[in-house]
Amino acid sequence: MIALSAKALIAVLLLAAGGAKLADLPGFTAAVALFAPRRTPRQVLRGTALGVAIGEIVAGAASLSSPGIGWLNPVVLGIGCGFVGVSVAGYAWHRDRPCHCFGALSARTFGAAGIGRAVVIAVGAAMAMVPARSSLIQLGPAGRLSLLAGAALVAWAAFSAAAAVAAGRDAAPRWAS
Amino acid sequence: MIRIPLYLAVAQWALLAALGVLVVVMFRQLGRLLAGASQPAELGPAVGSLAAPVAYSRPGEDAVRRLTPGDGQPALVAFVDPTCPSCEELVGVLDAARRAGELTGLRTLLLISDPVSYLQISAPFRSTGLEIGRPAQAGGLRSYRVTATPLLVAIDAAGLVRAAGPVRQAAQVRAYAQACLLPEPETTLAVVPAAAARGETST
Repeated sequence: MIALSAKALIAVLLLAAGGAKLADLPGFTAAVALFAPRRTPRQVLRGTALGVAIGEIVAGAASLSSPGIGWLNPVVLGIGCGFVGVSVAGYAWHRDRPCHCFGALSARTFGAAGIGRAVVIAVGAAMAMVPARSSLIQLGPAGRLSLLAGAALVAWAAFSAAAAVAAGRDAAPRWAS
Repeated sequence: MIRIPLYLAVAQWALLAALGVLVVVMFRQLGRLLAGASQPAELGPAVGSLAAPVAYSRPGEDAVRRLTPGDGQPALVAFVDPTCPSCEELVGVLDAARRAGELTGLRTLLLISDPVSYLQISAPFRSTGLEIGRPAQAGGLRSYRVTATPLLVAIDAAGLVRAAGPVRQAAQVRAYAQACLLPEPETTLAVVPAAAARGETST
């Protein structure tokens, strides 16, 4: 039960994070630029940011709707470990810079708390690797389709919410303060 | 009785919870936007007021530089950010105006609030020949009322604000540049409240 819950929650988290990043691609591109060499072309940075956002959505949707595919679990665990690595690197070199991990939905910056959150996600992804009885995870086409539809809905809702927040943020509160 | 796999139930609850959170976020944001729309924020300093001095640092430099309105040199100050697409547009237009010689005699300063590292993600910001600065003090520019970006402020040689607004087009930039060079107004009535607001006394 715990492993299944962790698997579903991590998948939904990936969907929301990917959707929100897509809505605030310039902001996330800026976060990607923090970890790239200075002369990296803008198109490469933007392409990387786009790839990460879409990759998260695809991984989340696949993990959510196909719990029986074993090789997806290590992939999600790898993504979780990637979050930990980025959080640690951000804490080391770009402390207090916005990470745009959830696009405009979160104003959180690289910090110790961010490392803690990333570790929780990685632990959740590791827990999801515990094998479950096939009767618990066996989905029919209808069940799989309903989860895919739900995944699309969450990604779209995250995109919309992040776009709405970004629209308000463009009122430049940093200047007004 | 229909039996569904445990995972399906768990996943559906997780999706429902995420949707619930996102709907709450959207409604809160909608509320904020509506509240903001009912009380439109004023943008830019009042035309005719004395522009406040600006302390800033160039990217990669620690030294604090100053733009002192009223020092005899007219200035165009643009409040822009690399993560704001409209700001990129304005920077491109300003750069084209500079290359065309339309900003001759003006000190043109692009002030950013984003981290300096963000400059590299924006082609117009990366390639501009205009001076870029980041304010030395976060709250030091309150009198400019930068409630949205981009904001362009035209300051004449006497330090008076001649125009201020959300400019994006070449014709507007030309008009602002010309406004900087207008002769000093005969009346200084508008100057008095601004000076008084800063606690200055006149004899």
